[in-house]
Amino acid sequence: LSRSRYILQKFAWAVFTIAFVIVLNFFLFRVLPGDPARAGIRDPRLTQEAVEAIRVRFGLDKPVINCFQSLNPLETGDCFINPFETQFFIYVGNLLRGDLGISYDTNRPVKDFLIARLWNTILLIGAGQILAIILGMALGILAAYRARTAIDYAALLTSLLAWSLPTFWLGIILLFIGSSRFGLPIGGRETAGGSFATVWQEWADVGRHMLLPTLTYTIVFMGEYMLIMRSALLDVLSEDYILTARAKGLRTFQILKDHALKNAMLPMVTLIAINLGFTVAGAVQIETVFSWPGLGGAIYEAVGRRDFPVLQGAFLLVAFSVILANLIADLTYSYLDPRVQAE
Amino acid sequence: MPLKKFFPLLVILLLLAACASAPQATEAPPGGEAESVILKVGWAGSPDTLNPGTAVLTEAYTAFELVYDSMYQLNLDGTYSLELAESVNVSDDGTVWTFTIREGFTFHDGEPLTAGDIAFSYNFYASNPDFPFLPVYTGYFASVEAPDDRTVVITLSQAIPNMESQLIFLYVLPEHIWSQVATPGEYENAEMIGSGPFKLVEYAPDEFIHFAATGQHPLYSPKINEAVFQRFENQDALVQALRTGQVDMITEMPNTAVASLRNEADIAVVNGPSFYPSVADVIFNVVEPENCPPGDGVCSGHPALRDRQVRLALAHATDKQKLIDVVLLGLGDPGLTLIPNGLGPFYNDSLVDYEYNAATANSILDEAGYADTDGDGVREMPDGSQPLLFRMNYPDDSTTAPRMSELLKEMWAEAGVAVEIQALDPDTLTSVCCPAFDFDVILWGWGSDPDPGFLLSVMTSAEITTGNSETGYSNPTYDELYDQQGVELDMEKRIEIVWEMQRIVFEDVLYIIPFYEQTVQAYRTDRFTGWLTGDAGKLALEDLSSLIAIEPVK
Repeated sequence: LSRSRYILQKFAWAVFTIAFVIVLNFFLFRVLPGDPARAGIRDPRLTQEAVEAIRVRFGLDKPVINCFQSLNPLETGDCFINPFETQFFIYVGNLLRGDLGISYDTNRPVKDFLIARLWNTILLIGAGQILAIILGMALGILAAYRARTAIDYAALLTSLLAWSLPTFWLGIILLFIGSSRFGLPIGGRETAGGSFATVWQEWADVGRHMLLPTLTYTIVFMGEYMLIMRSALLDVLSEDYILTARAKGLRTFQILKDHALKNAMLPMVTLIAINLGFTVAGAVQIETVFSWPGLGGAIYEAVGRRDFPVLQGAFLLVAFSVILANLIADLTYSYLDPRVQAE
Repeated sequence: MPLKKFFPLLVILLLLAACASAPQATEAPPGGEAESVILKVGWAGSPDTLNPGTAVLTEAYTAFELVYDSMYQLNLDGTYSLELAESVNVSDDGTVWTFTIREGFTFHDGEPLTAGDIAFSYNFYASNPDFPFLPVYTGYFASVEAPDDRTVVITLSQAIPNMESQLIFLYVLPEHIWSQVATPGEYENAEMIGSGPFKLVEYAPDEFIHFAATGQHPLYSPKINEAVFQRFENQDALVQALRTGQVDMITEMPNTAVASLRNEADIAVVNGPSFYPSVADVIFNVVEPENCPPGDGVCSGHPALRDRQVRLALAHATDKQKLIDVVLLGLGDPGLTLIPNGLGPFYNDSLVDYEYNAATANSILDEAGYADTDGDGVREMPDGSQPLLFRMNYPDDSTTAPRMSELLKEMWAEAGVAVEIQALDPDTLTSVCCPAFDFDVILWGWGSDPDPGFLLSVMTSAEITTGNSETGYSNPTYDELYDQQGVELDMEKRIEIVWEMQRIVFEDVLYIIPFYEQTVQAYRTDRFTGWLTGDAGKLALEDLSSLIAIEPVK
């Protein structure tokens, strides 16, 4: 199997999965019971005309797909209508044009809303991930290198503890300490209603607001990276070729750098890819504790308010990024371990 | 040693990490000029939209109160006072209302506010199918005209007793802006140009909303220059923000935080009836078979609940104070009927509640013939056909109902009544509730308008088929009184009728109203003084009335 064929195959799978998610995403929200036009707006004084106007605005007056008015199997609809007049094709068509619809709740376009939230999430979780990966890997390498010494046990214990801490609890504790001892801001992305003389001042303000949530995220995820890095490296270090390298008189640093690390990176790449994919979904708990306006919080709220267009858009975004991250991981494998594409 | 090479790398990495996230020691830059007095408010929500036609959340209405003016202002004691108009003249038959507009109102973009803007706004709200809620308030308007710049004439299709409550939410919009809007239902109204004492500075959805006093309002001259409402998604964070002084006032807080916050220096905790009154209710399905809605109706209610004696016994078996103490940690008032105490003069406080006494409950059921014939602790119907086992449902998004249902189960068991508890999602609950009447007991609630009209309508026979009646109650006397209060123009007489209606449904034990939840708010005493803390009636520190009264502590 040639390398280009392997890559092509992986791409095809990714495209197929995304198409599947698009279809599933559409039907998932329409099999739920209840009338979306009335969900969220539970005011009994709503007149029939007002409900009808809402249905028209959100395109709910059209049949879901040929032969089905709604996804209630008891209610059949007209089979002989133009398929492009059905909700499904309008949804797919809008999607191809990059239109994710209008939020039931805020009447704002879902795309603008999700993009604003996405950048906030990438900023916060991105910083947390990078720190967690760097610190976790460093600790893991150190622990594996000094295996079964006091340093190893201390690092292991710290990581296990950090990894098992409930995120929500850790966040609240850090919030209390940070705000009362160090005067750090309690929530938000920047000082509410503040005016900034320069962009640098504004960034400094955002940085101050990011500090506690990033710290929480780093502590929790650092442990996971450390544990995986340590065990993967220990496995590799027990291999015969490492012994050979040692016998050749190579220095430990060289063994680690040139012989062990690349092979020990496979499980790390998997883990990083999975985590990066889900990064987009944000960290609901951290975003909620620190009132960070990210995607995780948006999804959480949209569930509560039954804001289906937002949920639909967010699910698509998350699915897309997970698939993308997996694709990148697959491609990285083939670089790290040429045996992968042969399978 | 190779380790030596490794350690500097680690140290550098750690240093880099520390630098990347090191706290910037500088204080956040102050907003605007040094002189500016800024009030910082913390709340858990955020306006859903700035468009008055499509807004749902109370946070949006808080913003509208600051930025817009309307014909009447609702006061904290439940009364109304004129805002845009300096006088009003009502024709003898009550159908023609002529308002004379006060001089000096200007929109935030400098254009003067005229009677034309008012007439435009009312007609706009009335005719706009994209605005779901507001047409309700213009339902009786036959025409709205502005014969000159200072006169608005509203002609009604019939005289109504509650004209003021129809006008308070109809905020006056600038005609020169809104007449240009193509699709008002999707308009974001990002500039939010109004004529109120505060203008919008910045709105970051779900983060904060920032207002500045205009200093040009003919009626109100706030002593603060700016007000910022910041959102905290987490209630504990909200309390902590007040504790550390990052905000000056919080509009809500978990009841669990009250005790510790009361002991805090420089912080005052206040509680009282809510500005937007709400009522929790225990709904009994009492629909008679002959009233079962044709088509939609399932009407599977337990026959025992159609017997007033059974409902009366359950009322005696319910310890409301315990429900308040456990579910709300004491921060609620015992309820009587669907009309909450937040409705001021309309609330019938002369009713004496059924005394909590399990023995009374048991003797009522004994006399009515509901005996426990098989000795399993649960009574049976007088004809022995089925036990007094009721289905009890509540919406799964309720925070109070889970605990309340457990407590009611224990309390009612004392009277030999069993319940089977099941939480349902609100849509499913609506579909079993009404007009299907496919339930026995539901724990739910209502939010209330300032006018009792709507909540009174919920118990009329006419609403059984519409789905608004939750009980299926039908009483011709009550229906007649409902029609009477809807046309009684004399306030005193209308209140008398409304009180009588409450007495009727209270004696028929349609509902058990466990409590009217109180609003709990807190503010820092070292920042501002002059808060209206609810002695005058309802409590809403975020209301315009407080924002124009407070001044900074010297």
